[in-house]
Amino acid sequence: MTDVSTVAAAGAINASKIYGKDDSEVRALDDVTVDFALGQFTAIMGPSGSGKSTLMHCLAGLDALTSGRVLIGDTDLAQLDDKQLTSLRREKVGFIFQAYNLIPTLSALENITLPMDLGGVKPDQEWLDTVIDKMNLRNRLSHRPSELSGGQQQRVAVARALASRPQIIFADEPTGNLDSKTGAEILAFMKHAVTDLHQTIVMVTHDPVAAAYADRVIFLADGKVVDEVNNPTSELVLDRMKRLGS
Amino acid sequence: MMPSPIIRLTLRGVLARKFRILLTILAVVSGVAFVSGAFILTDSVKGAINNLFVELRGEVDLEIRTKIAFGDSARAERDPVEVSLMKDIAALDGVRLVEANLLRQATIIKPDGEPLKTSGPAFGISWNGPDGLDGRTLLEGVIPTKAGEVAIDKTSAKRAGYALGDKVTVVGPTGKGEFTLVGLTGTGSTSGGGGASVCAFDPVTANEFLGADNKADSIYVGITPGAPRSDVQRAIEKVIPADYEVITGEQSAKETAGAINKIIDIFGKVLLGFAAISLFVSAFLIFNTFAIIVSQRMRELALLRAVGASTQQIRQMIIGEGLVVGIIATALGLLGGLGVAKGITFAFNAAGAAFPAADLLISSRTIILSIVIGIGVTLAAAIVPAIRAGRIPPVAAMRPELGFSALQRSKRLIVGIATLVAGIALFSIGLFIQPGGTIGTLGLSVVGSVMLFLGVASLSTTVAAPVSRVISRILPFPLRPMTNSVPGRLASRNAQRTPRRTASTASALMVGLALVSMVSVVASSVKKSFTDQLKASVTADFFVTNLSFQGLPVAFGERLAELPELGSVSPFRATRALINGEEKEIGAVKPEMGDLVDIDIQKGSIDSLADGAILLHKDPAHDLNVDVGDTIDITWQNGKTSTLTVGGIYADSSVVRNWLIGIDTLAEVSSAPPVDFFIGAKIADGVSIEDARAAVDKVAADFPSAEVQDQAEFQKSQEDQLNQLLAIVYGLLIFAIFIAILGIANTMALSVFERTREFGLLRAVGMSRRHLKRSVRWEAIIVSVFGATLGIIVGIPLGIAVSISLPDSFVTATVIPYSTIVTILIASIVVGIFAAIFPARRAAKLDVLEAIATN
Repeated sequence: MTDVSTVAAAGAINASKIYGKDDSEVRALDDVTVDFALGQFTAIMGPSGSGKSTLMHCLAGLDALTSGRVLIGDTDLAQLDDKQLTSLRREKVGFIFQAYNLIPTLSALENITLPMDLGGVKPDQEWLDTVIDKMNLRNRLSHRPSELSGGQQQRVAVARALASRPQIIFADEPTGNLDSKTGAEILAFMKHAVTDLHQTIVMVTHDPVAAAYADRVIFLADGKVVDEVNNPTSELVLDRMKRLGS
Repeated sequence: MMPSPIIRLTLRGVLARKFRILLTILAVVSGVAFVSGAFILTDSVKGAINNLFVELRGEVDLEIRTKIAFGDSARAERDPVEVSLMKDIAALDGVRLVEANLLRQATIIKPDGEPLKTSGPAFGISWNGPDGLDGRTLLEGVIPTKAGEVAIDKTSAKRAGYALGDKVTVVGPTGKGEFTLVGLTGTGSTSGGGGASVCAFDPVTANEFLGADNKADSIYVGITPGAPRSDVQRAIEKVIPADYEVITGEQSAKETAGAINKIIDIFGKVLLGFAAISLFVSAFLIFNTFAIIVSQRMRELALLRAVGASTQQIRQMIIGEGLVVGIIATALGLLGGLGVAKGITFAFNAAGAAFPAADLLISSRTIILSIVIGIGVTLAAAIVPAIRAGRIPPVAAMRPELGFSALQRSKRLIVGIATLVAGIALFSIGLFIQPGGTIGTLGLSVVGSVMLFLGVASLSTTVAAPVSRVISRILPFPLRPMTNSVPGRLASRNAQRTPRRTASTASALMVGLALVSMVSVVASSVKKSFTDQLKASVTADFFVTNLSFQGLPVAFGERLAELPELGSVSPFRATRALINGEEKEIGAVKPEMGDLVDIDIQKGSIDSLADGAILLHKDPAHDLNVDVGDTIDITWQNGKTSTLTVGGIYADSSVVRNWLIGIDTLAEVSSAPPVDFFIGAKIADGVSIEDARAAVDKVAADFPSAEVQDQAEFQKSQEDQLNQLLAIVYGLLIFAIFIAILGIANTMALSVFERTREFGLLRAVGMSRRHLKRSVRWEAIIVSVFGATLGIIVGIPLGIAVSISLPDSFVTATVIPYSTIVTILIASIVVGIFAAIFPARRAAKLDVLEAIATN
């Protein structure tokens, strides 16, 4: 049994997000309070429209809450302007998306170091080497995304998220576009990043198999946190999902 | 040091979109080439002309001529100088050589009897040979030394097909003469006469044949080496009459070159005007390309934002791409400018201009202006897309639908209406209130119309969708409405779904076609007014004009007047005078002109011209507050003054201008060699038109440069001249329209690229390649018909406004050329078809499976 760390990498307090007005009002997040501990791999699950993507977008500072607070470390995102949010994303947050993850005109290495290049920061070479080796990308560095397989592209994306050693990494359906074998490989890499490299990852997924790689799974439905499982297995997750669905 | 990631991203972005950006570059290139070409050409030709005149001046140290009282020194009609003065001057200390400078009209007749046409004037001169003072050189043969000998510039001799020893017919002020070609001349370093044809005679022959009556245009003086020029100049000043002056050879060369430089500058400015139009249209293309590229790259830009690129960095990146396009286009444009300058020089030389061989000059001014304009226009067009790109929220990396709302936010309607209203206001103020004279009028109407175009372009977004729908319903393709078929419906919907894109693509075409419609309204109005006036006022049976603008030898008119087959005959001459402190053009005619042109006499009589009276148009009569019987003080260009009695006031100045004196009066006050601009003649009573024509043609046979026309021919030739001018204007506007076509092709290509997946789907569910092509083509047609419609809607009122604002003496009727409008609409369909060729082919070539797999 893993110790649940008491230091939070990120968290939401009474977070609400409402789209539209009056009749067409949609409550995507409804008073959500949740913490993500440092060094943990958390999965957020829920049926379509449950608010899991919205929660992640708000946590990552990509979208603003209607009410409530979001913290990255001890920074309250509501207090930041666009410029500060930009540098926060650059320095404290990593992203892995389902697709369109890479800039097609840049090589793999250039994609990996992009956030640091944008900020004018020199990458930590030792760490960069570690990440590159861990992701098994050493002999793919000069390739353009179009010359890489889907799995390789996603590994570059994971490496990019890790490269700046962010406080927290958000992954949005990272295996959604991959076949199950490649998907498993990426998830294993992400798991390694957490266990071996002591990173913090929050992943949105609807795949119970993917969720089983996490240390902790949070279930959302209708914009609310409805359940939570530590050290899940895919059967356990599937079971909870079925219950949510009924 | 690694390059900044923004620079890297920018360069890679340009490389990855080579083809899309290529068309954009092409548009800027043509504009810049036009601009730099205009500068290079005018600089080079001016430099060469200056050199030519310096060379022509040769060893002329001083020049003696008569003074003028006012006006432009180079264009002035000076009284000739007395050749007898030369003796006194030659006797002065320090004077080495004295020559008479005599230059008159003299046309070379080709072996086939036709006059040699030149792009410049046709001259006959007095020549002392290459050892004399002027800079003419003898290239072959010997110098003409006696009666019956002539030397011709080598270029003209070659063009006419004459060789040394041939008999050459030349028509001069005294009539036809036959000469033996003894020498071929050149000017300075060239073998021609700078576009003019030059017949050189020995001084005695020249005096006789050119009808100089022992007078000369000026006297050239060469100084003994070592003698101080200013001393000689002072000595000459003491022996010449008070109304003569002495100037240096350099000043004389500068004045003559300056007059030609002014014409070249006007030519250059016209080119620059069209360059500006092309650039303005290119700006739409650039703007559109960047706007589309930004929306196509939304996910990529959002991803950059998500991983930490700032709004600023995104904007820098798009601006940077604009900069790269601008730099490449400017560099190519400068090269293109060399081509434009070379091309125009070549075209002119082919027409016989014999431009002096000169290196093309690229001055630093040309380079700096090309850079400022080329890069400036590109950046200006890229700014709005860049600002919009910066607004893309990072979340759009995962949810693209959130990005589109950011791209579409805009206060377009208000800004559009404000710009349009301000544009119309400025345009109207410029045309009708005319503050600040010509420059004010021109400046305000240009700024006003630019704003008007921008306003309409911006507002057209609002109507793009409904108008596209209407166009697709109205246009019958091929025989039934477009919307009856699937490709037609698709084309129509596609044009409607990105109204902003449709509108700005169409706007580029709008600008070109609005100008075409405007010009055609003004031109038709001018034409109509002109023909109306000619019909109303011209009563002469024959009109004789000269093929070149040099005028006719007076001997021709004198011989016509003697023909018994003709009744009234009168020449029209012109001179300049200072009246009430202003320079005016004065016509000189015989009283018989009253039978040939109806000038609509309101008071008095044209017969008073025989008594030395002056006639004037009612407008200046009103301004000066003079009536028949009053007197007017006049200063002529040679400094003489007259007080003339007003003998009549007339209302129609379309043929004879605002002021008229008798030709005898002109001869009294000016001894400048007279030329007839045109001659009018009426058939004598009882003579048939055929007999009269035969008699006139017989005289004309001795003056091959004269063109005899009856009323219908005269009207037609005047209209032809107008049409030729129009053809040049349309030809230059074609460039702007060509750029607009590029714009449509580019937008369609980008749309096809963007809809790869959609097209794949359509093919998958059974649409044929032909139908797919057709749908792309029809969309392009909808866009271009939309642009043409906008252009006509904007251009016709502009043309009407310009016509109304033109003075009544110029335009009396406003005509809307319906046939031109229909032509423009039909042509716009053709434009659409052309623009769609490449994009449609590309769409049809898509591999179904690959297309569907594309994200």
